[in-house]
Amino acid sequence: MVIDLLSYSLIPMFSSLALPFFAKKNIRIAIILANVALLSGFINISYLIINSITKPDIIPIIDPLTVFLIFTIYTVALAISFFSTYYGIEKEANPISYYSLILLSVSAMTSLVMVRDLFSLYLFVEILAVCSFALITSDIKSNSIEAAIKYFFLTFPASILIILGISLVLASQKALDFEIISVSTNIMTMIGLSFVIIGFLIKSGVVPFHFWTLDVYQGASSPISAYLAGIITKIGGIYAIIKISIIMKYYPVETISSILLFTSILTILIGAFGAIAQKDMKRMLAYSSISQMGYILAGVSTFSSTGIIAAVFHLFNHATFKTVLFLNSACIEKQTGTTNMTELKGLEKKMPITSWTSIIASMSTAGIPPLSGFWSKILVIIALWQVGYIKSAIIAIIASIITLGYFVLMQRKVFFGKLAEKLTEIKEVESPLLLPVIIMSLMIILAGIYVTYIYSYLEKIM
Amino acid sequence: MQNIYFPLDWFFITLIFFSGAYCMIVSKNIIKLLIGFEIISKASIIAIITSGYLISNINLAQSIIIVMILVEAVVIATGLALVVKSYRINKTIDITKLSNMKG
Repeated sequence: MVIDLLSYSLIPMFSSLALPFFAKKNIRIAIILANVALLSGFINISYLIINSITKPDIIPIIDPLTVFLIFTIYTVALAISFFSTYYGIEKEANPISYYSLILLSVSAMTSLVMVRDLFSLYLFVEILAVCSFALITSDIKSNSIEAAIKYFFLTFPASILIILGISLVLASQKALDFEIISVSTNIMTMIGLSFVIIGFLIKSGVVPFHFWTLDVYQGASSPISAYLAGIITKIGGIYAIIKISIIMKYYPVETISSILLFTSILTILIGAFGAIAQKDMKRMLAYSSISQMGYILAGVSTFSSTGIIAAVFHLFNHATFKTVLFLNSACIEKQTGTTNMTELKGLEKKMPITSWTSIIASMSTAGIPPLSGFWSKILVIIALWQVGYIKSAIIAIIASIITLGYFVLMQRKVFFGKLAEKLTEIKEVESPLLLPVIIMSLMIILAGIYVTYIYSYLEKIM
Repeated sequence: MQNIYFPLDWFFITLIFFSGAYCMIVSKNIIKLLIGFEIISKASIIAIITSGYLISNINLAQSIIIVMILVEAVVIATGLALVVKSYRINKTIDITKLSNMKG
């Protein structure tokens, strides 16, 4: 563990433990405690990260990857927590357990990005999975329980695969620390790490195992789907693969690289083609999320420094734009009562800010130049080209065009055109609900403009 | 001398793993699926303890499996809670009947 950053994990944990006792009489205390704990952590980590970007000589960075991911986690968690406060989560779930679980999952995620050995990685992934179960099923609807059962019977057998891999690594290396594993290469360790990678691939929902993500994102309550799609499944699945690929830089990785590349291309294509045909907005966003997962995995599959930088940057971008899109769908669901795209039409005149933030986020997803999604996608494609996967790079470019296509289609169905007759009474949501969305859209634009600073920061992670 | 039992141990680990996996594949009852999951997680625990014996560092392996048993208890509790909640809503514990969501 990185001891210097431990408070980012401990403060949410203690807050989540204390919250049920303090908030027994008054729910407002739960809301205030959760938001204040996350806000203070967010301000601290932004101060740290901005200082280390602008003055790299004065403040040395302890562990750039960990700091960057903690920043991402706190950004999304604060947005979700603030959004849920005004969304009226108490109609759908018990607010005390909801905020407590949000804080506990933040603690698990920050611990997960801080760990330095394989078994702790497994342990915090399991804690995160249990937290996400409780979050998915905190909703009263029956759909979410069905989704949770599907998730259960895919994710925990994958954990068993991870443990089998860990036991092979333990037998060959006599220890599980990342430093020890990364220097002494060994064929049995290689097999063990492949088991671990396959387990995390199942957990992160790439294509042969992607069905649970669709059901979970559609079935869960809207802020929870934003939280799951934005950060939990990314940190709990793809981050571990990124970390292991950083460990394996001295290993002969051709076979694993080709397997990961094949999986990622399949994921990109099936996610993109699946998204075109969807009628439900949340299910379409879930397909889009799967497709973006493929881009992150394609960056990892090169095992080069450019690819890993691209993967981390795309993970951050995915966290921002997918959270914005899911929160927009939550706003639409709150105002109109549906996310079915055939019933929605012409919402732009009634909900202009939601419409514009949705345009920014979806253009960033599709990779339109000034926005941040363009830079991470072009980095993924450059990384693929550099190691010689030219056909895959071309497929990634084509899939990016398809992404643009289905987002334009969604925008046209939901926001543009003539207003549907049923929706004449619709108003824009209250301004507190728009605040996290607007701030994250600004982050997308700023990350696109100041991309050189972010790139020079991320170069230090290797 | 320690090495001679390692292949035999892994033979049994594979056997236990696949019997659990078979249980998870063929059964439709969610409780039986959970039992199959328990069996394959026992296989993984034996794998860890075997590796600890091989590297003659049994303390590390034991501390790992104690934490694993804890995790497993939490996971099974979560699974049973899911089954109970699903039974209250759908009045069935047959996993093939759960197909409301399509797209």
